Amino acid sequence: MAAVATCGTGAGSTRSIVATTSKNNVTSFQRKGPRASGTDSGCSRLVSIAGTRPSVRNGQLLVSTGLPALDQLLGGGLAVGTVLLIEEDKYNIYSSLLFKYFLAEGIINGHTLLVASAKEDPADILQELPAPLLDDNYKKDLDEDICNHQTPDSNIKMKIAWRYQLLPKMESGPVSSSRFGHYYDASKRMPRELIETSKWHGFFFPEKLSSTLNKEPCSLTHGYRRLLQFIQKVIYEEGFDGSNPQKKQKNILRIGIQNLGSPLWGDDICCTENCDNSHSLTKFLYVLRGLLRTSLSACIITMPTHLIQNRAIIARITNLSDTVVGLESFIGSERETNPLYKDYHGLIHIRQIPRLNNLIYDVSDVKDLAFKLKRKLFTIERLHLPPDLSDTVSRSSKQDLAESSKLLGPGCGMMAGGKQHLDF
Amino acid sequence: MESVLALGGLVLLRDSVEWEGRSLLKALVKKSALCGEQVHILGCEVSEDEFREGFDSGINGRLIYHDLFRDPLSWSRTGEALPGGPLGALQAMCRRTDPGPFTIALDSLSWLLLHLPCTAVCQALCALSHQHSRPGGSCPAEPVRVLGLLHEELHGPGPLGALSSLAQTEVTLSGALGQASAHILSRRPRQRPAHQTQWFSILPDFSLDLQGGPPLESQPHPDPHTPPVDPTARVTFNLHLSKKEKEAKDSLTLPFQFSSEKQQALLRPRPGQATSHIFYEPDAYDDLDQEDPDDDLDV
Repeated sequence: MAAVATCGTGAGSTRSIVATTSKNNVTSFQRKGPRASGTDSGCSRLVSIAGTRPSVRNGQLLVSTGLPALDQLLGGGLAVGTVLLIEEDKYNIYSSLLFKYFLAEGIINGHTLLVASAKEDPADILQELPAPLLDDNYKKDLDEDICNHQTPDSNIKMKIAWRYQLLPKMESGPVSSSRFGHYYDASKRMPRELIETSKWHGFFFPEKLSSTLNKEPCSLTHGYRRLLQFIQKVIYEEGFDGSNPQKKQKNILRIGIQNLGSPLWGDDICCTENCDNSHSLTKFLYVLRGLLRTSLSACIITMPTHLIQNRAIIARITNLSDTVVGLESFIGSERETNPLYKDYHGLIHIRQIPRLNNLIYDVSDVKDLAFKLKRKLFTIERLHLPPDLSDTVSRSSKQDLAESSKLLGPGCGMMAGGKQHLDF
Repeated sequence: MESVLALGGLVLLRDSVEWEGRSLLKALVKKSALCGEQVHILGCEVSEDEFREGFDSGINGRLIYHDLFRDPLSWSRTGEALPGGPLGALQAMCRRTDPGPFTIALDSLSWLLLHLPCTAVCQALCALSHQHSRPGGSCPAEPVRVLGLLHEELHGPGPLGALSSLAQTEVTLSGALGQASAHILSRRPRQRPAHQTQWFSILPDFSLDLQGGPPLESQPHPDPHTPPVDPTARVTFNLHLSKKEKEAKDSLTLPFQFSSEKQQALLRPRPGQATSHIFYEPDAYDDLDQEDPDDDLDV
């Protein structure tokens, strides 16, 4: 893991003290002085890579996911060397948007990209990235949105609970020009010059498929094996794992894999319940995580888990990934017409957050979150449900909650899946 | 129904035992042929003669038929059978080089799913639907339409879900009172999917007759609980204030607000009120010794 050693404020003075004492006493503690070449500006200990920052909680190096609201929910950002798994929504609209935000963030920060897909050509994916929002444009849009949504009731300032007025909403506005996460305009495309100046590698599976003739029987599906070899080659050749001594500045590799687990990769976990290569995907994730942990890279994977027939595989995949975020959109479901959810486009579930060099989780205490794709921005907000009061109100909202929070293990019988609530 | 053909890519026609889809498939094939496109048909379930029945000679001349029905396993070595079996036939269609709009009708996807592994079928379909952007990169967006007939009852949720995720348009056939309807779900890239229900009937010469709807009696009654639930109705406290109540609320001084009247009231002792008294009756267990209050403790 790329841990960051922070410089103390008194480092300079202690260094000089140690230097004087070492002349007098022979001590086995040798402190390295600052490098004479001066390649690292500022403090010599800090790994200063563009677009990253150390976590305030445990010093882990973090990169932004491209969505500052999601960064906040994940505890500051995505840790370098980990996997972010996004469980796709049914029509793959919002998960592909999150995927593009991640890649766009990489381009803005100058990171190297590796895009792998079995459905679309990576060059086409890169042409569709959203354009970054500049500070003044964002403020104008934010004010415009606030004016649209303000009702007369919300103008009343709170007199009793006035401290809550100062509480910020879920997403915070842009802070400074060299900020950690950027905002993107989903309705505009990223300018071509930015994409062309960035460095990226593409892996389009159908092209690789046609070039091979023999399929040796192995436990890892053909597509996964080729992808792992490709990722390993890029990491090794570009020196992200420190194998080639890099003369220039260190950089992060952002890997994006789209629709992993779908039949287009040659994996049949979405097609049948008892498949032959049921361990293929789990092995892929295991090897991928090993590759990521030993290099300066972060990976985003979108997976159509709603198609996977065997629930035990979903549980294994969740365990093998570091951060898991599930998207559930309301399109086509009965919730679309439910007035409780009328302002939102779907629910977002943070299913897992990793415990990296830590004993506790960084989970936020807000569990019911909903997202909404406004005209330009993707926002994540807390879902406010009304209190259970009268009979009919409680029945409809309780059933919705029960269905949304139902997590059935593989051993549960038929009764557990029923809609009846236990009545006390 | 025009949107079904206008959007390229994979069009899934899901039919069932009650509402068969082959006639709709033939109607769409006829429509494409009349537009002057090349139409290739991979026939697996019915014989060529049966498929061509009902089409006039002009349309029959435009259809290029690949027959897998007569000899699916290539047992007769006369060389008439398609090389490579069904998968080879699909891959051969992927490699076509002539430009122009192109329609492929798969007579049935169910047959292919039952004879080939699902992943191979999905990969071949994806390669077919994305064909227009591949060759040389010089072709403009010529739509390649793949019409696949799928019998819903033959497959489990796995293959159905996998194919739905690949399809640009899904047409599910159902109906009421002898009138067929098609529920069309079209997924444009990066946009919300659009639902549409179209009632239709197929004439004997396989042209489509779009209709408004079935007779009124057959319409299903709307659900009794469609009026949306208003969470703010029927609560035990008052959520709405009248104007007078609002004014009274605004003018109320809150307890922690320290106004000057309050300050005066606290500083000035109220007239007529003597200092307060405390009346206390000592209990049986009380110890009235003030010097040692802990005397009753058994230490």
